[in-house]
Amino acid sequence: MADLRINLAGIKSPNPFWLASAPPTNSGYQVQRAFEAGWGGAVWKTLGDPIINTTSRFAAATFNGKKVAGFNNIELITDRPLEVNLKEIYETKKRFPNHAIIASLMVEPQQEKWHEIVKRVEDVGVDGLELNFGCPHGMAERGMGAASGQVPELVEKQTYWVKEVAKTPVIVKLTPNITDITVTAEAAVQGGADAVSMINTINSLMGVDLDSWNTIPNVAGKGAHGGYCGPAVKPIALNMVGECARNPLINIPISGIGGISNWQDAAEFILMGATGVQVCTAAMHHGFSIVEDMIDGLNNYLDAKGIASVMDLVGKSVSKYSNWGDLDLNYKIVARINNDVCINCNKCHISCEDTSHQCIDMLVDANGKSYLKVREEDCVGCNLCSIVCPVDGAIDMVEIKQALPSMSWNERQSRIASFMT
Amino acid sequence: MSAIKGGRISSNLIENFEEIHKGLTRSEAIEEANRCLYCYDAPCIKACPTSIQIPKFIKKIASGNLKGSAKTILEANPVGASCARVCPTEELCEGACVLNQDTKPISIGHLQRYATDWAIKQKEPLFKAGERNGKTVAIIGSGPAGLSAARELSLLGYEVTIFEAQEEAGGLNHYGIVSFRLPKEVVQWEVEQVKQLGVEIKTNTTVGVDIKAEEIIDHFDRIILAIGMGKVPNLGIEGETLKGVCDAIEFVKQTKIKDPTDELVGKTVAVIGAGNTAIDAATTAVRLGAANVKILYRRTKNEMSAYQFEYDFAKQDGVEFRWLTAPLKIIGNEQYEVTGLECVKMALDEAGRPVPIKGSETTIDLDVVIKAIGQTKHSELIEAFSLNHTKGVVDVDAETYQTSQENIYACGDCVFGNGQTEAMVVSAAEQGKEVAKAIHRTFMLQSEIA
Amino acid sequence: MSEYETYMEEKNKIDGYFDKGYQVISIFENLSGTFVDFVTGEGASEREVVQLQLLTAEARKYIATKLLFVS
Repeated sequence: MADLRINLAGIKSPNPFWLASAPPTNSGYQVQRAFEAGWGGAVWKTLGDPIINTTSRFAAATFNGKKVAGFNNIELITDRPLEVNLKEIYETKKRFPNHAIIASLMVEPQQEKWHEIVKRVEDVGVDGLELNFGCPHGMAERGMGAASGQVPELVEKQTYWVKEVAKTPVIVKLTPNITDITVTAEAAVQGGADAVSMINTINSLMGVDLDSWNTIPNVAGKGAHGGYCGPAVKPIALNMVGECARNPLINIPISGIGGISNWQDAAEFILMGATGVQVCTAAMHHGFSIVEDMIDGLNNYLDAKGIASVMDLVGKSVSKYSNWGDLDLNYKIVARINNDVCINCNKCHISCEDTSHQCIDMLVDANGKSYLKVREEDCVGCNLCSIVCPVDGAIDMVEIKQALPSMSWNERQSRIASFMT
Repeated sequence: MSAIKGGRISSNLIENFEEIHKGLTRSEAIEEANRCLYCYDAPCIKACPTSIQIPKFIKKIASGNLKGSAKTILEANPVGASCARVCPTEELCEGACVLNQDTKPISIGHLQRYATDWAIKQKEPLFKAGERNGKTVAIIGSGPAGLSAARELSLLGYEVTIFEAQEEAGGLNHYGIVSFRLPKEVVQWEVEQVKQLGVEIKTNTTVGVDIKAEEIIDHFDRIILAIGMGKVPNLGIEGETLKGVCDAIEFVKQTKIKDPTDELVGKTVAVIGAGNTAIDAATTAVRLGAANVKILYRRTKNEMSAYQFEYDFAKQDGVEFRWLTAPLKIIGNEQYEVTGLECVKMALDEAGRPVPIKGSETTIDLDVVIKAIGQTKHSELIEAFSLNHTKGVVDVDAETYQTSQENIYACGDCVFGNGQTEAMVVSAAEQGKEVAKAIHRTFMLQSEIA
Repeated sequence: MSEYETYMEEKNKIDGYFDKGYQVISIFENLSGTFVDFVTGEGASEREVVQLQLLTAEARKYIATKLLFVS
């Protein structure tokens, strides 16, 4: 039995699994159901001036028949008055004193507005605050959300204002709709943030209806961009968490968000530097009970690895995340096809022939049986065949030990620099 | 799905008894597990007699948490590995799957086997015995009902002793279900899991012979009868004692305790009865090399008690079904061997009872007659414990399975009949759990244990 | 000729020059690949400069590896 308790910048939680600030955390009824199901914490749906929503708020991407490969929303922050939310936060915290409740906040970029909401919210006993600088639709048009999150100075300034009065830890939530998230993360650090969370949603349009020519989603025939999330965005989020985690100037804990659907995804984010994770789309797809296997699976994984506490897993892969220029150019792998497992679909051949290095041959043996073989000297070890191969174990990527020592691009360029005339 | 490859059985008879279904590959399991919708308030759970949390265990296969998946299955059903292979899933979980209406139901049985196969391969026990509470329970019989009760009681801290008449534990799962459906190794693993909780299983110990009922009554706080049923009864016709007439259960048992012989190669066989045991006997005869195997049943396919998939399986093996046919007399030669069977055609009256059609008698030439017309009851043993019974079926409370003796409970096949319960492995498992719960409640009420 | 064969040719030429004691005096890289100038080593009877144009990626890697770890 591993210890799944986390301490994220001073916020204690019985396990790393929080619900992200979103439709699932709109009301006390929902957050209480989530805590009953086992979620360690919840970030309350963003508090601020109540908005008005449209219908037709969500859309999803189906990929090859599998539903919700990605998810899109044009829903805004809370549409309920602050007092209603605060009352429910208070009651929820009383019923569940050991679970973490974090209040997400969004107000106009004015010092008094931030001071007011922070004080009122902390009065009801939240465990921390999350500053929403990331909503990409509906709020940005008014200078809030992503409009703040894309300008480092605004991130720093607003964080600073909040820290002037906040008594609980402050998490700054960052938007991925930006050239380099480490810049805004650094700005949050400069502003005094206790932690950062990422990612918020990505600007997106789900699709277009080929009959009506309406966008998907649309409201009475008109569309607007929304925020993309769900399994499809996981690689984008994972990279951003990793880049921030390995940046020495971003020396505060990270709460990882973005397409986390199961315990394996969560473990990957934790290894790349997240102390805790937040989930939304998977809960909207399947209900709160998905947290049971997240907890059970993570527990069994830590036991199998001989790790006593999930906090010991945090960041263990960060040192392996480097720059392209430092990768060893002399590391050689090649593809090898196991013909006893291969089912002769020939997909490896055609993907290599058309789009890679033309080194997989379709051959016939002495008995007339077809088989596939890689010409190893021509193979550049790109992985493509092993990626398209549908059968476990039919293609292995095998290291070929080189007589040559390792050499990165940076090392190469600096060595030959002295020879450049 | 028949094992018979390309329509031929192997002349190497041992091969014919290998497990038919190879089990899902990893790719197949992941693909199928991801097809499951993970319903809320899923109908498959309600359809399972042991209420296994099916969507939960399937999701854990999809997420790569095999240990969690196996635990989810086995905590609800201590013989979940056996059930994965023998449950009539079309009538239970798979029959209830919501995807029956849209695409295809999830292969829940195969997925359950995938997870339990994983558990069998890895060495770590999944459950730990509860802290001993000082109370003792004796269980007579180590079939699925007895094993389930023993497992649950151990988790609650009881000291459990099982008395088993046969040489190996496992009951009919071990001795009665054909190897090509349920290999002994699976059953023995389930037995081991119970033993490693500290349960003592005294095999080769027949109550009434090796130990008296009174002794057990005196030495244990509670007793559970999980004794199943007895031998196949006699047909009550001439020629039953001839060489070549046998009991279906004994017949199958022989293939489970030793390698097959070639006695039946080329022979003609008739099986009397149309329950699952008759199917087992018929398909076993085919695998022992019999040239022709018929099932004779006095009523019709509609009244047949075998599961549909068992019937399909037998048909694929080439077993012939003769409906509305009853045996009259078994004919033998001077060597006292079976040479033929005289039968009569039947018709169903308005009440659905079979009545013979006069003048429709025929004789079938054959070498072997196998009786599969049900099982007798262990009435003597039941009476040794002074329990009330109705024609050999122990009288028990419908919820607690308590017998007419306050400290004695009964479950499994020995309470089956007279319109009560179902004689399925999975029902026996659930009853074993219920009995354990009921016993525990009696102690909780008395506050004798914490 | 396959890229591998081209690489082997280029590699053999590089190895050949190093074996004969040539030294690299200049390298420049442009749209057409890597150009390496070799000069005969000290003690050679005649001073000769030869230029190799390396087309393959493997050879462009190899020349740098040689320089980093051999010279």
